[in-house]
Amino acid sequence: MAGLGWLFSGAVPAAATAALAVIASGIIVALYFVRLRRREVPVAFAALWLGLAGAASALRRSRRLRHWLSLLLALSIVAALLVGAVDPGPAAVDPTGRSWVILIDRSASMSASDEVGTRLEAARARARALVRGMNPADRALVASFAAEPTAESGFGADPAALERGIAAVAPTDEAGELPRALAFAAAVLRGRPRPTVALISDGGFTEDARRAAPAGIELRYAPVGRRGENVAILSLGARRVPSDPGAVEAGVVVQSFRSAPAVVPLEILSGGHLIDRLRVTLAPGERRSITLADLFAPGARIEARLAAADDLETDDRAAATVPPLPRRRVLRVGDADLYLDGALLSLGRTVVVDRLPGAEAEAALARAGDYDLVIFDGVTPDEQPSSGRFLYFDPRGPGSPLATRGRIRDPVLDPASLRADHPLLRHLDLADVNIAEAVRLTPGPGDRVLAGAFGAPLVIARERPGLRAVVVAFDPRGSDLPMRPAFPLLIANTLAWTGVDRAGAPPSEAALPRDPRESDTRPIARLELGGREVPALQVARPRRWPRAGLLASGLAALLLIGEWISYHRRWTT
Amino acid sequence: MTALAESPARRRFDERFLRRLETLELAVRRAARGQGRGIRRTRRAGAGLELADHRDYVPGDDLRYLDWNLYGRLDRRALRLFEEDEDMAVDVLVDASLSMGMGQPAKLELALQLGAALAYVALANLDRVAVTALGAEPRGLPRQRGKARILGVLGLFEEVAATGRSPLSASLRGFLSRRTRRGRGVAVVISDFYDPAGPRAALDLLRAHRLDPIAVQLTAPDELAPVLRGDLRLRDVETGEAHDLTLSAAAVAAYQRRLSGLRRELEGHCRERGIPCFSVTSDQPLDAVVLRMFRAGGLLG
Repeated sequence: MAGLGWLFSGAVPAAATAALAVIASGIIVALYFVRLRRREVPVAFAALWLGLAGAASALRRSRRLRHWLSLLLALSIVAALLVGAVDPGPAAVDPTGRSWVILIDRSASMSASDEVGTRLEAARARARALVRGMNPADRALVASFAAEPTAESGFGADPAALERGIAAVAPTDEAGELPRALAFAAAVLRGRPRPTVALISDGGFTEDARRAAPAGIELRYAPVGRRGENVAILSLGARRVPSDPGAVEAGVVVQSFRSAPAVVPLEILSGGHLIDRLRVTLAPGERRSITLADLFAPGARIEARLAAADDLETDDRAAATVPPLPRRRVLRVGDADLYLDGALLSLGRTVVVDRLPGAEAEAALARAGDYDLVIFDGVTPDEQPSSGRFLYFDPRGPGSPLATRGRIRDPVLDPASLRADHPLLRHLDLADVNIAEAVRLTPGPGDRVLAGAFGAPLVIARERPGLRAVVVAFDPRGSDLPMRPAFPLLIANTLAWTGVDRAGAPPSEAALPRDPRESDTRPIARLELGGREVPALQVARPRRWPRAGLLASGLAALLLIGEWISYHRRWTT
Repeated sequence: MTALAESPARRRFDERFLRRLETLELAVRRAARGQGRGIRRTRRAGAGLELADHRDYVPGDDLRYLDWNLYGRLDRRALRLFEEDEDMAVDVLVDASLSMGMGQPAKLELALQLGAALAYVALANLDRVAVTALGAEPRGLPRQRGKARILGVLGLFEEVAATGRSPLSASLRGFLSRRTRRGRGVAVVISDFYDPAGPRAALDLLRAHRLDPIAVQLTAPDELAPVLRGDLRLRDVETGEAHDLTLSAAAVAAYQRRLSGLRRELEGHCRERGIPCFSVTSDQPLDAVVLRMFRAGGLLG
């Protein structure tokens, strides 16, 4: 059976062709002479037929010529059939053929739209052209790769099956792992004649990936992609602001891969609603981190979107889940204080409050490390803490964090002293707070007076390494502050400010489904592997006409039909 | 008749054919009655009782039959003709040459059926009927009378095959030479009249022997419209001669014109001689042919 393999390979040896031609011609000539025997027809009265106009004698020269023409027609039909069977083409010149693995890059950057359609569609078109231009003796397998290689077809010569495999290649958001793909192709081609890999890609591979070339395999490169005009969101993070559970702080990293400065609108959405929009100006290749504070995002998910049109859409969006606020532990030390308890209660379930009586202030100081905030409400431990987070109301005694210089009655808050830009006073309105009595405090070095009453500090912030303390110089119960919205806000701000460098609300990272490297869509026209440039893939022009064999078979069929008609119409003999 | 129908060898003429003959004979009588003629009569000068017609006097005619009254009134010399019943002799001659076996359907089949039908009508008419098949070896029945004789006729025709290789005129010459009773009579010739001597030769021969011929020319449909084209070897079935020809559509058209000319020549000759002549194709139904012949007149009437 192996000896007859040429019958099915499309490559017929010349000797077999000649033998077929001789045998077929001999049979035709023999049959033709058999056919020359005239059909005998009995007639009732032959005299009626003799000497008729139009009845030609078989001996006339023109009749003989028609005989020869008829034989020539028959031999032409045989020749056309032979050509159809042999199907002369490149296979006859290149009987061994190549073994192709057509590797189509389906990484994220192949979704760029700088080609007609996308780069992947252009790659499919290149692959189809390669298949249509393949020699009949060639065999091929279609594979695609991103993070992993995938065989899209079997190894064969059927163009329809190969084109189905090409059509099956789907884009991904993964990075292209060229070494794995080449290793896969090498495994497929092992032991096959003239192994060749056609790599159809935009060439966006890392230095490591381009370090080595497969051995023993001819590699051809077909680049796709025309330009690299892309701006991408590389990362997106978000976290809750402790003082305002409905607010979110977001961080976005964007980068331009364009060759010219780019101004792109950046939109932040929550629950499908636009909550912020800004314009970002980026220099060529610039990467910038943008922090967006005080975003009102009640939903658990925010989305960043670049509204500018560029080549790659998949990196123009990023989404991040906003993590919930962590639970805070607060220790309140002092006698019963409904106002303070009410303010703590307003923070909801994000705050767990433990209480100790004022007599146990020293014990509270020892346990301060277990709490996010310790509030000394009208009591002051004997020792000043060196670390921890504290809020003092009306400090007194030797343990007061700030030196005291007596008391002051009916202090009037100086609006000019308010430091509204400090996080502790965010959203607070303390301008007309009425205070019955306050302790006169002397701020230490580094302490910041956030509000005062004409020389008497009322709210002081102390920040030392490992220590953050807020000191309020008056007892809220001796003022109308608890009756104002500013009171619970002050507690919340204190919690937020003191918790900034602790657990707080760690920002979430955007769940980006793609590799940021794929955002660099600049195509690589010349690919180097192992320090050597990969030759370009020469795609033969697809046949615009059917194969010679098909044409010859069609011609033979037409001749046969014509001969059949002419014979039965008695035009030929 | 029952024995005829039961014989397995006799398939050409079965009981059903006999019934057709009887029906046909009745139909012929009805047709003849409508024209005032039911039996065979001849028109002769003076021999009968019933005046039939006049004809112009020619020198030599018997002056006894000159219509003197007419001569007196119109000054025209005319001879009175009378109709006379006659015991007539009828010869039914069927050409059984090889050419009659040609055609689809074969001409011989209709020729034999037609001959049988004419013989049956004549026998029923109490005429003396002889039938002869002009094949390689002519076979026939002597003159006989009476309807019952039809079985013999059918028996003879049942065995007839197309075998003759001689032209019609040659066959008739042999038939005439073998005749024992030479008298006037009617000779119905059923043939294709394919004769190298021409179609009129056979009829002239009969007339020369004082027989009034009636010509029935049979042609097959595929002879009228042959589908022959291309390189062929035409072999004459009677002479055996072969001719290599390449036939085109024009040649076939010329053949058709020639065949039509042959038929016209026969009809023209018959018309000139007052011979009844009928052209029939072999695919025509027997009943229609027989009735057409009798309705046309001049045949057994």
